[in-house]
Amino acid sequence: MIETKTLLPGVTLRCCRDSRFKQGCLSFQLVRPMSKAESAQNALLPAVLLRGTRRCPDLRAITEYLDELYGAAVSPLVRRAGDYQTTGLYCGFMDDRFALPGDRVLQPMIGFLEELLLDYPEEKGGFRPDFVESEKKNLISAIESERNDKRTYAMGQLLKTMCRGDSFGLPRLGETEDVAVIDPVSLLAHYRRILRESPIEIFYAGSAPGEQVEAFLRPLLSRLERQPVSLPPQTPFTPCPGQDVTETMEVAQGKLGMGFVTPITNRTPEFAAMQVFNTLYGAGMTSKLFLNVRETLSLCYSVGSAYYGSKGIVTVAAGIDFDKERQTRQEILRQLDCCKQGQISEEEVVCAKEAIYSSLRAAHDSPGSLEGYYATAALSGVGLTLEAYMEAVEQVTLSQVVAAANTVELHSTYFLKGESQ
Amino acid sequence: MTAYSYPELDETLYRQTLENGLTVLVVPKKGFTKRLAYFVTDFGSIHTDFTLEGEQYHAPAGVAHYLEHKMFDLPGRDVSAEFAALGAMANAFTSYDMTAYYFSCTEHFDECLRLLLEFVSTPYFTQQSVEKEQGIIDQEIGMNEDAPDSRVFDQLMEAMYRSHPIRVPILGTADTIRDITPEVLYTCHRAFYTPENMLLCVIGDVEPEAVAETARQVLGSEKRAPGVKLRPWQEDMTCPTPKVTSRMEVAMPTFNLAFKCEPLAGGDEAIRTEMVADLAAEALFGESSELYLKLYEQGVIDSSFGGGFETVDGCAMLLCSGDSDDPEAVRTAILAEAEKIAAQGIPESRFLRMKRSALGRRIRDLDSFDSTCFRLCAYHFSDFDYFRFPEIYRSIQPEEIRDFLDRVVREERCGLSVIYPLNQEALS
Repeated sequence: MIETKTLLPGVTLRCCRDSRFKQGCLSFQLVRPMSKAESAQNALLPAVLLRGTRRCPDLRAITEYLDELYGAAVSPLVRRAGDYQTTGLYCGFMDDRFALPGDRVLQPMIGFLEELLLDYPEEKGGFRPDFVESEKKNLISAIESERNDKRTYAMGQLLKTMCRGDSFGLPRLGETEDVAVIDPVSLLAHYRRILRESPIEIFYAGSAPGEQVEAFLRPLLSRLERQPVSLPPQTPFTPCPGQDVTETMEVAQGKLGMGFVTPITNRTPEFAAMQVFNTLYGAGMTSKLFLNVRETLSLCYSVGSAYYGSKGIVTVAAGIDFDKERQTRQEILRQLDCCKQGQISEEEVVCAKEAIYSSLRAAHDSPGSLEGYYATAALSGVGLTLEAYMEAVEQVTLSQVVAAANTVELHSTYFLKGESQ
Repeated sequence: MTAYSYPELDETLYRQTLENGLTVLVVPKKGFTKRLAYFVTDFGSIHTDFTLEGEQYHAPAGVAHYLEHKMFDLPGRDVSAEFAALGAMANAFTSYDMTAYYFSCTEHFDECLRLLLEFVSTPYFTQQSVEKEQGIIDQEIGMNEDAPDSRVFDQLMEAMYRSHPIRVPILGTADTIRDITPEVLYTCHRAFYTPENMLLCVIGDVEPEAVAETARQVLGSEKRAPGVKLRPWQEDMTCPTPKVTSRMEVAMPTFNLAFKCEPLAGGDEAIRTEMVADLAAEALFGESSELYLKLYEQGVIDSSFGGGFETVDGCAMLLCSGDSDDPEAVRTAILAEAEKIAAQGIPESRFLRMKRSALGRRIRDLDSFDSTCFRLCAYHFSDFDYFRFPEIYRSIQPEEIRDFLDRVVREERCGLSVIYPLNQEALS
């Protein structure tokens, strides 16, 4: 069961008490509107905070402290949820019951989170310049390294093409030129402002009761000076003319991305039908795309679709030979047409629903997957528990799936191909 | 089944070897909805040479992986669709030394288990279906060729090893897979998919005896000797090509750096060596090491850097990887640091903290069904019961770490593989 509580204005704690796990997790996220003006700063912040505190002045001191806490881990958390970007920290730690007699992990872990968030060393009114400079360099490498994974890169380029007028086209980690101009003083000023103004989402899963987690969080919360500013609501896809983009690179395999739009988002009642459609169309080994594009035509090894419910976008990605682009496109569209014309069996709908139930049920089975769902679901507009989500899926009928398919329209395509072609 | 209890981990393991030779492991997890089953054969990409029924075989590279793909075919049936109809997801992977087929489900566990056992034990290959798979695997090979992580590792293995088949990618190559025929697949299946060479491992809220009973019913009681793996690999501890480089579409240079280690035999001693090696890796270049801090602060490495001990049938290595503008500097620094630790040893307090951390991380990791299943299988094939890891950790002494580093982290054992961006001059 999820317990949700407002601890301070704009500060929400979601707790999932569960004693089956050997570990717990706690995430702390500041929720921001996704914008070019601040996305790079938000992406940089957690990395700078993780470089040192006044007590633990460097990476080594931090790791040593975490080693004392039985190998606990704190990692940067930078997510996109529709028009929002979140920035913060994620803590994973062993459950208290496995610690040596007298040792505790959860309470010192939350204490350490407070330290990381609030006891950063300052220099001349800013973060430490050496931390900021080296993390800027690392962030720029991370941004530029996205092209190393050709599939991710191709999908990023596709979304950029589709969302020229929409925040959804902005890369999650910001852009190199925006990272380059960040300075330690303005970054700290920005951090203080967003600590004060942003909605804060705290999520805990583990064996401790909610009241105890809340009590452990109190010292941290008492140090926040809150003046919350509410966020603009999530928006559907902002229309712009579609484009077909081809890019060349020295690659062995082509990556085809096709981007579709639909007015159905997480915030519209048809969202469950859309999820079922996406699953039977392109998610998993029994989907139409897998069975036809891969198994029947042997055009690819990987093919799949994804539905971005926060925005109303469906994408299809396939890794193919350069000269198979036309044939693959046609087959992807033909399979969509089949769905639109109702060439879907009851069995396919049942399979798709089962696959969705399975993944939702299994989300209960690890602290990380509970966090992954609950720490973003409400933000992106799915205000449902896992159980309620399953019920919504169960209600979906074949004709609703066909109706959902009929809202899906091709918008843009992107093809990455080899230089020699 | 026999129950083994591990109170400090809050786990119980049930184990039995059936009449047909199959080992069954079950870890019951009360209250969890997910159920996971792995059906694994002790046969991976490196096992291309073997004898079966008195005859010697040399199979084309990539055969274990090809076989994995084709096992999903049953005459007139679609295995994936049958799993899907049961609300389950089935998949498989091939590593250097094992092939695993698995499913996870939340309901209909027994039907799923029957289906898993049935399809993996039923070979069905036709000329046409085997040929058709080539197009799919060609694309998988193409995908790996564009993936810097797999390219940088594959080229390192080719440089470091003279004859061990880890030199060849798990998938084989576009050329070798063309020699794979239905007959080759049938032979490999007959040799290595016999219950005696396999393991069934189940985690979740299940009844252990029922799992064993289902395995008996589906697989029968006949015991058949598996093929005998030939290991004609002659490897000394030196690295024939100390540095290998290439270029591709990457943002910055990416590297793998490894030190050859003696292969592990199996049993307690092997696992102990593995855990010692993991701690040694942490002491040498883990996030709590002096070296990591220094290189990170100098900007020579970033958070992509990491490493540990890797072991495969017939070879082992201490490996680290990451992105760096100066991979040579990483190598130089690691060699120097190992020399320093070998001379000075590891302070007791640091050693205890590292052990506590390693133990805590392994306990946390038990929450992951997939990782636990994988480890139980891999360690089982090395004749070790994975849940005994706490007692092994407790018995490790700091001198063992020092001795390991002193022996292994040596220039002549070292191989460096770098992929440079296309538009950047190589640094050496």
